[in-house]
Amino acid sequence: MTGATSVVKARTGRRTFASQRRQNLYGYLFMLPWLLGFFGLFIGPGLYSFYLSFTKYDVLSPPEFIGFRNYVNMVTNDDLFWPSLGRTAYYTLLSVPLSVIGSMFLAILLNSKLRGVTIYRTLFFMPSLVPLVASVLLFKWLLNSDFGIVNQGLRGIGVERPPGWFSDSQWAIPSLVLLRLWGAIGGTQMIIFLAGLQGVPTELYDAAAIDGANAWQSTRHVTIPMLTPTIFFNTVLGIIGAMQTFAAAFVATEGGPGFATWFFALHIWKQAFDYFNMGYGAALAWVLAILIVILTLIQIRLSKRLVFYYGE
Amino acid sequence: MATTSSQSSTPVIAVDHASSRARRNQRARKLFIYTTLTIFGLFFAFPLFWTVSSSLQTWQELRSYTPHLLPEVPQWSNYADVFRLVPFARWVLNSFTIVFITIPGTIFTATMTAYAFARFNFFGKNIWFILLLSTMMIPAIVTFIPQYLLFFNLKLIDTYVPLTIGAWLGGGAFMIFLLRQFIMSIPRDLDEAATIDGAGPFRILWSVLVPLMKPALTTVAILQFLTDWNDFFGPFIYLNTMTRYTAAVGLRTFQNMALETTDPRDHLLMAGAAIMTIPVLVLFAVAQRYFVSGVVLSGLKV
Repeated sequence: MTGATSVVKARTGRRTFASQRRQNLYGYLFMLPWLLGFFGLFIGPGLYSFYLSFTKYDVLSPPEFIGFRNYVNMVTNDDLFWPSLGRTAYYTLLSVPLSVIGSMFLAILLNSKLRGVTIYRTLFFMPSLVPLVASVLLFKWLLNSDFGIVNQGLRGIGVERPPGWFSDSQWAIPSLVLLRLWGAIGGTQMIIFLAGLQGVPTELYDAAAIDGANAWQSTRHVTIPMLTPTIFFNTVLGIIGAMQTFAAAFVATEGGPGFATWFFALHIWKQAFDYFNMGYGAALAWVLAILIVILTLIQIRLSKRLVFYYGE
Repeated sequence: MATTSSQSSTPVIAVDHASSRARRNQRARKLFIYTTLTIFGLFFAFPLFWTVSSSLQTWQELRSYTPHLLPEVPQWSNYADVFRLVPFARWVLNSFTIVFITIPGTIFTATMTAYAFARFNFFGKNIWFILLLSTMMIPAIVTFIPQYLLFFNLKLIDTYVPLTIGAWLGGGAFMIFLLRQFIMSIPRDLDEAATIDGAGPFRILWSVLVPLMKPALTTVAILQFLTDWNDFFGPFIYLNTMTRYTAAVGLRTFQNMALETTDPRDHLLMAGAAIMTIPVLVLFAVAQRYFVSGVVLSGLKV
């Protein structure tokens, strides 16, 4: 037994040329499927889309190089460019903070270890299991301006003119936010917060209690600072997701009413897959990607000041 | 007990004021927590309840001036109507077909890639790993247009190839990362012992690691199922023929397609929504813990 292990040790300790070649051979062999995907579905298409963004291409005739004209056109000539960006920003600013705060709030309550909280945890998690298209149809029905149960209820308690929700251009984005909150607050995001709460050392709470902190104070001064890395993580992912929102807005309103939910991803889809302006669509997609990357980098930069890492 | 209650038959010898206040606070806190959880619980539960209830009512009932929370007589025939009016069974079957192609793909190829990253010291490993992680950060929309053109030129539009090939080519960075973390937690001694017994890398992966990876592989399978079951944009772009639609695209189409009846169809849409949700709920019921273990397995140090 000991003899055998020492043989292995001797063999692995000596990094011979042959063994390094073996490492290379098997390493690359095992990751071959991913490598093919990486080049065929990621790098290749990524570079091609970058090239396309400088062309005019309608699929029928070959791409025609037009320099920066797509990029100039979008800021000067495209009536929907700025509005779609604005609506995406509005949706993001409304949905991400509310859902992150909501998830954190519920996770803190669930973490109180009271009897029966696991039932609540399961209940909160359920909406995130409903497939997106199903939940969109459900919310369109719940929030139907004439026959929806929500407006029926509002009328019942004396609200004479309840909101038109998805059919009202003022309310369409808030309706999508409501839909998102329902599906997101109790889902993975909350689970990540619960995992984050597991990592808060109990001695910090003991110390706070000795200092006479009440429940709110220890939440405010212990739990929340300790959760800042989790808040940061969920916010970054939330923003990346919200900026690319397509299905919810498309299934609910097809971007309407009156372009009220015409998000940037819908604009890309319309140009590329409905008008077959592939070059212009690629340029729009690159703009969105670059915006997302810049926003993420800004957040990473800000996090250095705002995020507290215990034990560093 | 030492509460302020006067009905208590136990004689209270000495009431420590501080501790009774603490207990009152404790009780107020409990009340606050349960009340808040219940309010949120209702907000989360009501839409689910309403889906089921609406799906069992007649449209006349749903559009009456005094809405019923529960159906007068449950209209189970609504569910039959969904299958009769649109090819819903076909759509659900198509979604299952896609999932049955992608799950083994991700299991095989993500495991292989994860094994490479976890156990071999090949040339350029760190750079490849950074590139792998970077694919998670670049929005999918950038590669979508050229991918579409690629499949268009390969005459693969309206097939399931564009929707499933990614799973057979690594299955995505997150899955690989998750499995790599898991493999790294398995002691290398096991690999070495198998090497002594004459096992090669394939044998080690298959006979030593894979049996130990079952929880992680289950998680990966569930994540893949949820991704494909939910996916709307992919099938919406790539599929043209109605009989090839997935449940997600089909349900959306059901919303405004011409049917033999022009009656309101909210009750039928809710039945469709319920049908599409049932497989996910069943999966959740049998494998609940794997739904949340992705967070734990990725070792998300947040």
